[in-house]
Amino acid sequence: MSWDGFTDGLRSFVVWVMDVSSVPIIIYFVLINSSLLLLIGLAYLEFRAQQRRRATALTWQGAGMAPGVSLLVPAYNEEAGIVTAVKSFLTLRYPRHEVVVVDDGSSDQTFARLEEAFDLVQVPRELPAEVPIRARVLGIWVPRDGRTRLVVVRKENSGRSEAINVAINAASEPLVAMIDGDSILEPDGLLHVTRPFADDPTRMVATGGAIRPVNGSRVVSGRIVRVEMPQTWIPRIQLVEYLRAFLLGRTGWSRLGGLILISGAFGLFRRDVVVEVGGLDPGSIGEDFELVMRIHKRMRDEGRDYKVEFVPEPVSWTEVPVTAKVLRNQRRRWHRGLWETLWAYRSMLFRPKYGRIGSVALPYYWLFELIAPLLELFGILIVPLALLLGVVNVPFAILFLVLAYGYAVLVTLAAMVVDEWAFHKHDRWRAIWQTVAASVLENIGYRQLTVWWRLEGWWSSLRGKKHVWGVMTRTGFDEEAA
Amino acid sequence: MSAPAGDPDASSVRVLVADDDADIRDLVEFKLTQAGYAVEAVPDGISAWEAFAANPPQLAVLDVMMPGLSGIDVLRKIRESEHASVPVLLLSAKSRDSDVDTGFAVGADDYVIKPFSPRELLHRVNGMLARAR
Amino acid sequence: MIVGGALLIGATIAVLGGGLLLVLAVVTVRSRRRSRNQRDQMLLSPLRVPLITVASGEDDDGSAAEQLTWATGVTRTVLDSNIVELLTKIRGGPGDQLIRVLEVHGAVDAAVSDLTHRSSVRRARAAQLLGLARADHTVPLLVEALSDESVEVRNSAAYALGLIGDPSAAGAVLAAIGAPDRGLPAATAAEALQSMGVGISEVLREGMRDDNARTRMVAAHLSGERSFTRGLPELRHLLDHDTDLTVRETAATAIGRLGRDEDAAVLSRHTVPTEPLSLRRACVHALGELGDDTAVPTLAALLDDPDPRLAELAASALLVLGPGGGAALAGHEDDPAVRTARLMASLQKANA
Repeated sequence: MSWDGFTDGLRSFVVWVMDVSSVPIIIYFVLINSSLLLLIGLAYLEFRAQQRRRATALTWQGAGMAPGVSLLVPAYNEEAGIVTAVKSFLTLRYPRHEVVVVDDGSSDQTFARLEEAFDLVQVPRELPAEVPIRARVLGIWVPRDGRTRLVVVRKENSGRSEAINVAINAASEPLVAMIDGDSILEPDGLLHVTRPFADDPTRMVATGGAIRPVNGSRVVSGRIVRVEMPQTWIPRIQLVEYLRAFLLGRTGWSRLGGLILISGAFGLFRRDVVVEVGGLDPGSIGEDFELVMRIHKRMRDEGRDYKVEFVPEPVSWTEVPVTAKVLRNQRRRWHRGLWETLWAYRSMLFRPKYGRIGSVALPYYWLFELIAPLLELFGILIVPLALLLGVVNVPFAILFLVLAYGYAVLVTLAAMVVDEWAFHKHDRWRAIWQTVAASVLENIGYRQLTVWWRLEGWWSSLRGKKHVWGVMTRTGFDEEAA
Repeated sequence: MSAPAGDPDASSVRVLVADDDADIRDLVEFKLTQAGYAVEAVPDGISAWEAFAANPPQLAVLDVMMPGLSGIDVLRKIRESEHASVPVLLLSAKSRDSDVDTGFAVGADDYVIKPFSPRELLHRVNGMLARAR
Repeated sequence: MIVGGALLIGATIAVLGGGLLLVLAVVTVRSRRRSRNQRDQMLLSPLRVPLITVASGEDDDGSAAEQLTWATGVTRTVLDSNIVELLTKIRGGPGDQLIRVLEVHGAVDAAVSDLTHRSSVRRARAAQLLGLARADHTVPLLVEALSDESVEVRNSAAYALGLIGDPSAAGAVLAAIGAPDRGLPAATAAEALQSMGVGISEVLREGMRDDNARTRMVAAHLSGERSFTRGLPELRHLLDHDTDLTVRETAATAIGRLGRDEDAAVLSRHTVPTEPLSLRRACVHALGELGDDTAVPTLAALLDDPDPRLAELAASALLVLGPGGGAALAGHEDDPAVRTARLMASLQKANA
């Protein structure tokens, strides 16, 4: 076949593809961005409610109805930061909380540091087996002062999910919060996330608090003393992503009653409900998402009157990846977790029993979260190709760019307006320009790369590759912290 | 108002006041200055710690609820420092004594619950300094 | 495929224009906040010294308070909101003086009419002001505001009623929790009821018979917190028969706090393995709190329970039940639960 023949063939193929797909692609991009805009609209309503609450400023100090909270902290090789982290968790403002650290078979001095700092003594306690555990528990320690509410459990290494399950068994308060040792909590963050439980104690089963990237901010003794923009563009763009999706998107979902994703960095659950559904699934890669889905399914199956709510106040701050390598691992893992969980709960789709979860939230996640990178990749490949072969004209290509990316920038900016208006965490003007720049830059390279990484994650799951991500990500974070 | 009873040179007694709430900061500063103390007032925990470290006062009044480092955090750092014996009074919002429990556990000497009476605060400051001497 | 130039231009303009507008919105939001703060500060600065003088109780001759009453226009509005804020922070004589300033300014009367304002923020703030100014003649209006369509207003009204502390409003506060779709958040209700004196025990008894689980829970919780022994029959009933597990646990805890000796039998009934584990634990803990030694056989039997936490709780409870309790531990000395309970108790005692 001659070269001309090849290009002719390719051209007619691309013409055919474009004929079939150009309109659907554009519609898809308009839809995905519009749906985000709609969620932000909902978030706006929610924030107005929040703003009213703030304008009427009744500071709640957790008197009376505040349920006790156990902070569950899985720790694997975190000797550098664990003592500061635990001290800062112990001195959070809250009437009744304990810290349960589970040393997941660390090979470094994690336990020794804790033992020294808190003068730990071993107790012969046996843990309840409410959540089934495979790994062996090596022992339980408490501070000698008999007063500091800390419990340290050592176990054989078996991963984060099981470490949390052990912590659930060791926890003695009615609510449990799963947090990472490298997270930084707002001093009054617990008061925010427990408030829905205090207001509706018989129905609330889970709440989630907003997470923000901590990179660049000044941290002293495990507290943020000055919020700053990250130094480099990869975390800056993630800040924009967090603003848009984590914070505003979820607030919108919460208002719709379809909140299905509470991120691992800060989720608060009724302990008895977590126990009832069996704790985290150690075999799942999107374990937090999977747990929330399992809770929803159980509650709806049993026809129980329950609530899951999202608290938009920034509650927790976390270090986000600064290198492409670590970011790639994270995104592959996230997408893989998303796919596996959505697939596992496919039976909930469109079943009236599951209400808005089945009719709105899950279909949305399938279409706009799971399949999105596939369609986007298709657009990225086909439009330049069509342009190159002269199948489409320049105006069409520009229209595509405007609708796909310009609209995305719009959505981000809308998120920024709401954030500035409700929280104004960054008080420098420079932060605004950097955020605007990040929202544009996100579409040049970053977005395409994450599309690819997400597809990689999905693909590796479909091929049935065993996941080793949990360990890999942790290593990544450690490298970055060093 | 009068200088603290039996203390002719109160102006040499330096008190550090930390509260992010301008009203309370001004109020406490005013009340203690009127009573003859030399007051340094700062708006957040980190400035409080920096001011303390740069020039340790004879007494510190710390609000528990401040952005960034809380009063409890600053107290913790003070108690771990070489000037650990400086008396500290915590200002805490009305609660079920939880802040107070945490505060005493970390090493507070006294506390005042908001809403508070400025007169009572002054009496407590006087009393703490008298005991410290 | 050819795209109409108009569509292209339209879409581009829409996106670019929208983007610009949004950036502008961010800048405006921030600038407005800053300029408003600056304006308020400028207006207040001449009054700052008298305000702080009054608030710190140094206004012996009342001249500073009088100066505050002269403020007019925007300055007065800003000053009044500053005074309201101050009232949340100080109490005693200076507080009364500041309330006087509000009254002279007509802020209390204005708040009464603001209770029916269109804006929910205005209504909520008005309710708060009435509470902070201890305007006890407005209790009926505040009770009405408990069923406002906006949750902020309901919250604020309950807060105000708590500040005023008039127990006659307790029934309304408690009933407001269960209002369909317009419920008063349980936490606010509980906080308001906390500060209403002893006159509310009958209301709480009634609340424990309410149809709404949240209402029953708040009533049970407060009966325990405030040690209202008159509510014991209702608490026992809740523990025995309530459909909601959280309510039953709350009742168990309350009984542990204020129950009589015969309540040991009531609590013991619910430590059997057929009950939910969380309720059994709550009851065992409550038995220790109650401190009646007729519970010893029940607790001793639980030392062998398959749930290690329940066994440890039972051992801890036995340790505080006097000689009878200690004797019941005989034969179990090597159980991890008993050793742990002993160790924890000795650590606590050593540092008490």
